[in-house]
Amino acid sequence: MAFKPSKRSRRPQEDADPNLTPIMNLMVVLIPLLLSSAQFIKLGMIEINLPPASAGTVTQAEMPKEVDKKLNLTVTITDKGFYLASSMAVALGEKGEGPTIPKMADGAYNFGELNTLLTKIKKKATGVFKDSDQIIIVAEPEIEYQTVVSTMDAARTFEQENQTEPLFPSVALSATVM
Amino acid sequence: MAFIPSRSKRHTTDSGDVKLNLNSMMDMFTIILLFLLKVYSTGGQMVQPSDYLTLPKSTVEKVPEVALDLSISKEWVVLNDKPVVKISDLLSSNNIVIPKLQQQLLMYANEAEKMQERYGKPFSGMVSIQGDKSIPYKVLVKVMATCGKSKYPNMRLYVYQKSS
Repeated sequence: MAFKPSKRSRRPQEDADPNLTPIMNLMVVLIPLLLSSAQFIKLGMIEINLPPASAGTVTQAEMPKEVDKKLNLTVTITDKGFYLASSMAVALGEKGEGPTIPKMADGAYNFGELNTLLTKIKKKATGVFKDSDQIIIVAEPEIEYQTVVSTMDAARTFEQENQTEPLFPSVALSATVM
Repeated sequence: MAFIPSRSKRHTTDSGDVKLNLNSMMDMFTIILLFLLKVYSTGGQMVQPSDYLTLPKSTVEKVPEVALDLSISKEWVVLNDKPVVKISDLLSSNNIVIPKLQQQLLMYANEAEKMQERYGKPFSGMVSIQGDKSIPYKVLVKVMATCGKSKYPNMRLYVYQKSS
């Protein structure tokens, strides 16, 4: 038989305050911990794979093992702009001489234009050449590392109908005459 | 005219327990905690960027892997936290392969090959290159050529990811 609660022992209800101290302790420990280990700068990595040491050539993507139709697309970075060349032709600048893609008026490299031009080449080269995902980057000795990396970026992907497609993701660096 | 408290009330205090209102602080902490948990990557940061150089920015999305650590600062080439060659020495030599660096790299490669024999840990020939963004191309090429000639043909160039 259940007891009927007595009517007399009813007191006015007090404000029930939860004890927040343990939660506060937890927060005070957790927040510095997470803050110290949080990763605010993301690192990325560019893969460059060479075949193991080969005499003669220094840094080249692939030794020609068989005679194939090869594109050998090469971008040369100079202090005037980009020169583009392949085994078929050398792309000329607008005036018939000078760099294929000259620097912009403010002295910055025109990576957008390079990407557009490479996209055009990619579309023509796909299926025709065996190495249509490879590009060789050559730079003048004094070109900064950042410029080389940005050139690789421009050569890596292109946008097509809001989709990112690979352009020439396999990059090889070549040494110039020092 | 200054307010003079009455003598009788001067020493009276409120009833003992004063409650601190922590609600707003709790709200704030909860938000910060959630934000940090979201930013926090579960794998942790395996690759530590060097303090004394600024990596170039890039749009790559590949996540870095752990490999033999080679950094090129403005003054030194550093292999696994040990300075190996001065950049000025490197520039003054005409040789494309850097003998000191090659020697060190081959030593690490030998160790790794021994590990492969004894414990079956495969030797990948992978080296991670952290270069300062302002180093000239000729330095980069010399270092990379040396790596390629010293059993480390698989190079990883570390970069900061551009936030898109």
